[in-house]
Amino acid sequence: MDVAEILKSLTDAFPEAISEATAESEIRAGSYVDKDKVKKVCQYLKDSLQFDHLCSVCGVDYIKRNELEVVYHIASYNHPVVLTLKARLPRENPEIESIVSVYWNANWYERETYELFGILFENHPNLKSLVLPEDMLGEWPLRKDYEGFPNKTARNLV
Amino acid sequence: MGEVKEKKASKPDETSEEGIPGVITTTTSAISDLLKKTKVQDLINWGRKNSLWFMTQPMGCCGVEMIAMGCAHYDTDRFGIIPRNSPRQADVMLISGYVTKKYLPALKRLWEQMPSPKWVMCIGDCSISGGPFYESYSTVQNIDEIFPIDVFVPGCPPRPEAMLQGFVELQEKIKAKKDLGSEY
Amino acid sequence: MEEQLEPNEMIVHLGPQHPMQPGPFRLNLRLKGETVMDADIELGFIHKGIEKILENKTYLQGITIVDRICYLVALVNEECFVGCTEKLLGIKPPERSQYIRVILDELTRIQSHLLGMGEFGEFIGFVSMFMYAIREREEVLGLIDMVTGARVTHSYLKFGGVRDDLPDGFKEKALSVFNNLKKSVDDFEEMFHTDRIFRERTVGVGVLTADAAKNLGVSGPVLRATGVPFDIRKNEPYLVYKDLDFKVCTETAGDCFARVQVRINEIRESIYILEQCLDQIPGGPLFPEGTMYGRRTPVMRVPAGEVFHRVEDPRGEMGMYMISDGSDKPYRVKIRGPYYPTLQALPPLIIGTTVADVAAISGSMDGCTSEADR
Repeated sequence: MDVAEILKSLTDAFPEAISEATAESEIRAGSYVDKDKVKKVCQYLKDSLQFDHLCSVCGVDYIKRNELEVVYHIASYNHPVVLTLKARLPRENPEIESIVSVYWNANWYERETYELFGILFENHPNLKSLVLPEDMLGEWPLRKDYEGFPNKTARNLV
Repeated sequence: MGEVKEKKASKPDETSEEGIPGVITTTTSAISDLLKKTKVQDLINWGRKNSLWFMTQPMGCCGVEMIAMGCAHYDTDRFGIIPRNSPRQADVMLISGYVTKKYLPALKRLWEQMPSPKWVMCIGDCSISGGPFYESYSTVQNIDEIFPIDVFVPGCPPRPEAMLQGFVELQEKIKAKKDLGSEY
Repeated sequence: MEEQLEPNEMIVHLGPQHPMQPGPFRLNLRLKGETVMDADIELGFIHKGIEKILENKTYLQGITIVDRICYLVALVNEECFVGCTEKLLGIKPPERSQYIRVILDELTRIQSHLLGMGEFGEFIGFVSMFMYAIREREEVLGLIDMVTGARVTHSYLKFGGVRDDLPDGFKEKALSVFNNLKKSVDDFEEMFHTDRIFRERTVGVGVLTADAAKNLGVSGPVLRATGVPFDIRKNEPYLVYKDLDFKVCTETAGDCFARVQVRINEIRESIYILEQCLDQIPGGPLFPEGTMYGRRTPVMRVPAGEVFHRVEDPRGEMGMYMISDGSDKPYRVKIRGPYYPTLQALPPLIIGTTVADVAAISGSMDGCTSEADR
C-alpha cells in the first residue's frame, strides 16, 4: 500500500477528524486526529487499511504550548508503513477514549501513559498503575515539570 | 592456624590410589588427627567458606553475568559456590542491580527468609552507588545503609572473574571470623 | 482478583523472585486445583525510568543508557537509538561500518537465542541444556568481546559509524567458532527432537494461532512460530540487510516446541548471514568522510524533528520514537520493546493450563523483564 493512498483514504473517510496529514517518507506518515474520534479512526484503520499492529502508545508533554499529546504508532503485519496518529489534549484534566476494544495490546501502554503522564483513558478495563508503586501515583514523573528529578541522594557523589 | 589442609595418609600400604594425580586419599586416623589438632572455630569456618550457596535473582545487567558465572564456563561449583533458587537454601544474597522503590520491600523479605549465617554482596555500580541510574525517580540509593554488605564488587557490569574474586574475598573474610556464628 | 475467589480456589503469587522468571515480575494466579483460572501480571520491580533519564542526557551519553534497557541485546538497542539519531541528522554510515554493525547484531542474536534456549531448558527441568547453551554462548561472547572490549554493555556504536575497526584475526576466529557452533546446534536440535520428556512438555503446550498472535500484538520468534513471516529485516530493511541473502524462519504449530525450533533455525540463518558479511565486507573509512563524526567534538546538536525507527531485536520488533527540539538533548524518547507485548500476552495464554505448564510457556517466550520495565 502506498502512503499517499492511505492518507487520502483516511482524510476522505474522516474529513473533520483528521488534520495536517503528511507523508514523511515512503514508509512513514503522520497526522493529527481529533481526540473524540480516535477510536473510530483506529477501527477504520484496522478494518479497511490493514493496520492490524499497534506498535506503541505514548504521551509527550509540550509544556510551552500547555498541551499533552498522545501518540499512537500503528503499523501492519503486511506492509511497512507506520502511521503516527497524534491527539492534542489540554494539560489540565487530559482525557481521551481508550482504544483497548480495537487493539488489545493497547492495555498496558495506556496504563503506563496514565501513570507517567496523568492522561485518563475513558472506558479502559483496568486503569491502575503498572510500573510505579501505588504511592507514586499522582506525581506524573514523565511530565516536564516533575519536581523529584534528578534525585541525587547517593552519598558518595557529593 | 586457621586453614585446614587435607592430609595424606602416612602409610603407603593403606592406600592403593597413591600417586594418582588429583586424588587425595585420607584415613580415619588422619581425620581424627585433624579434629584433635584444629580449633572447632577453624573447622566451622572452613566448612562455611567452602559451601557458599548464592541466591539467583537476576535484577539487572549484572544478573546475566551472575548467571554466566554460575554456569559451565566459569564454573563456580569448584569453589563450592552453587546457585540456588530458593532464599531458604541460600547463604549469600547478591544484589545484582538497581533496587527500586517497588522492589525494596520484597528484597528485605528475601533477606529475612535466608537462614543465618548469611552474607550479602553488592554486585555492580548500580547497587553500590546508583551507577547510571543514580538520579532516577524510581530507584533507591545507599543500599549499604539497608543491608549489611560484606563485599562490594565494582564494575558496570563486573566480569565474571571479578565476581569470583569477590567470592574469594568473602571466603577470606569468613576464614578470619573469631566468633561462633552469633554475629551473623 | 480476591473478590472473584470461589470455594476450592486459591491465589498463588509467583515472584518477584522465582526460578521461572527471567527477571523480577509478579505473576498472580487464581488456581482451582492445578488449573489456572485467572492470571494477572504486576510489573515495575526493576523500572528505572530510562525514558526520563534519556531526556536529561546528551545524545552521546544516551548510548550508554540504552545499552542497559535490555542487557542481553545491548548492541541492538544501540543500533535502534543511533539509527534514530542518524535519521534526524540525515547521515548514513559508510558501508564498512554498516557491515560491522550487522555482524555485531547477528552475533547478539545468536547469543541471545542460545541463552533463551538454555533458560527454557532450565525452566522445564532440563538443566543440562542450560549448561550446554551457556558453554556455546561464552564462545560467541568472546567474539563480541574481541571487537567491542566488553561482554554485556558495549557503548560501541557512534553516530555515523562504529568506534573501532574489526581486530586482526577476527575472521579466522569467527569461522572456527561458527564451525563448532553449527555442530552444537545440530546436537541441540537432535536432543530436542528425540527427548521424549522434552517433547511431551512442549508439543501442543501454549498454542497460539496466527490470528490470535496478531491480535495480541506479539512479534519476533513467538509470532513467527505461528507462521506469520514478519521480520523487520525483510519488511523494512535497515543497514545492509537488503544486500544479504537470508530467509525468515517460520513454523506453523505455534506451540512452545515451534518457538524453540524457530530460534534454532534463526541461529543457523544468522551464521549464514555472518559468513556472507565476513566475505563481502568492503574496506574504507568507518565514518562519513569530510564530516565531524568520529572526531572529538564539542556538544552535538540535532536538528528539530521526530522519527520512529524500527529494528529487529532477537525477541521481535524494537522501535524508538525520538523527538528533538534542536538542542543537545532529546526532547522525548519512547522505547517500544518487543518483550512488553509478549509479556502482556502471557495471561491469556496460561489461563486454562496447569501450573507446571506456566513455566514452560513463560520460558518459551524468552523474556527480558528489564526491557519490559525499562
